[in-house]
Amino acid sequence: MATMERTKEAINIEEICTKYRPIISFRVKKSLGASTPEWEDVVNEIITNVLEKLKKGEFRGESSIGTFIYTITSRRIIDYIRHKSKVLKHAPEPAHYPDPQEYIENKERTELMANAIKKLKPKYREVLYLYYYKDFSREEVAKKLSISPRRVSERVNYSQKLLKKLI
Amino acid sequence: MRNCKFEELIDDYLLNRLTENNKEKLEKHYFDCPDCFNKMVERDELISIIKSKGDIIFKDEYVTEEAKGETWLEKITSFLTPKQWAMAAASACLIFVIVFGVIPNLKTTSPRFFINEDMVRGGSITLISPVFETHVFPSQFEWRKLGENIEYKIYIYDNGDVLWQDTTKENFIVLPEKIKKLLSGEKYSWQVKAFSPEGTLISVSSKVQFKINLHE
Repeated sequence: MATMERTKEAINIEEICTKYRPIISFRVKKSLGASTPEWEDVVNEIITNVLEKLKKGEFRGESSIGTFIYTITSRRIIDYIRHKSKVLKHAPEPAHYPDPQEYIENKERTELMANAIKKLKPKYREVLYLYYYKDFSREEVAKKLSISPRRVSERVNYSQKLLKKLI
Repeated sequence: MRNCKFEELIDDYLLNRLTENNKEKLEKHYFDCPDCFNKMVERDELISIIKSKGDIIFKDEYVTEEAKGETWLEKITSFLTPKQWAMAAASACLIFVIVFGVIPNLKTTSPRFFINEDMVRGGSITLISPVFETHVFPSQFEWRKLGENIEYKIYIYDNGDVLWQDTTKENFIVLPEKIKKLLSGEKYSWQVKAFSPEGTLISVSSKVQFKINLHE
């Protein structure tokens, strides 16, 4: 009982929305594909479902709130995929029209990142090129560049840090 | 700062190289680990941009290099690692030494040929009768003649064992009265070998099987 009270106190609905919306969105987009027009609807449904369950006291604090939300998200994704494959098996996907403001922002960010990658030293650029663009495995990249697989990961991580500085 | 153990799975997750089990573990984990989630979002953005704009980003160096194509030397050298090349060269040297150095110096004996019973010098002997199935008792065995002054040795086998054998210069032989061991319903085989007047084996017939069936 005491755990339940503490849990309720600890869970702030606003926090759920702000903290977990990006995580849920990421998971949904990864599973359904960002081009699926309904992905935002699915995210909203998941958040509504989470809030309802919290109000009903279905979260008993036996696991973390993250795991609780993860479970609801995964179930909804599975339901969506099942329903979609059953009902819209042969129906064409409607085109996805992104928000114009969001589109411009994304485009600018992409340009910025692309220019930043161009400014990296060749030894970092070649790792990014082979690993992400050419889709070689870590071991294959290591072999091509005569370095260890661990060094490949280190170079990728360091590239990411440099890019953050450059942007 | 100590890195989270799930961090190393992020790339493979985003590149769809994780097993279902690890994928599920990581997905569950990033709901609870803001650090991993942030790193995942950053890495996802980087990968997406490289995938979509890679041809422009890497245009000046790698992509054009690739379009030019590798030279034949680059193709050959990139085929194996330096270590593998070293191994291949060592193996080639060893084979060279064995083929040109060791084998010619080996004391080899000249090939020796033997004439055994399966090797024939002349035409083969054709057996005329009995063959396959006979309804009368086979008192005479006949074959095609090879020439004059040739001695024929006839063998009758029962399950591979010689039941009876004899020699003649004719192209037939009559089974002696006392050799009436052949039974109706049984299978036997026979063979003829031809010898020159000097006693050299010159031809061997194939072993032909026959069955005695007196009841039909």
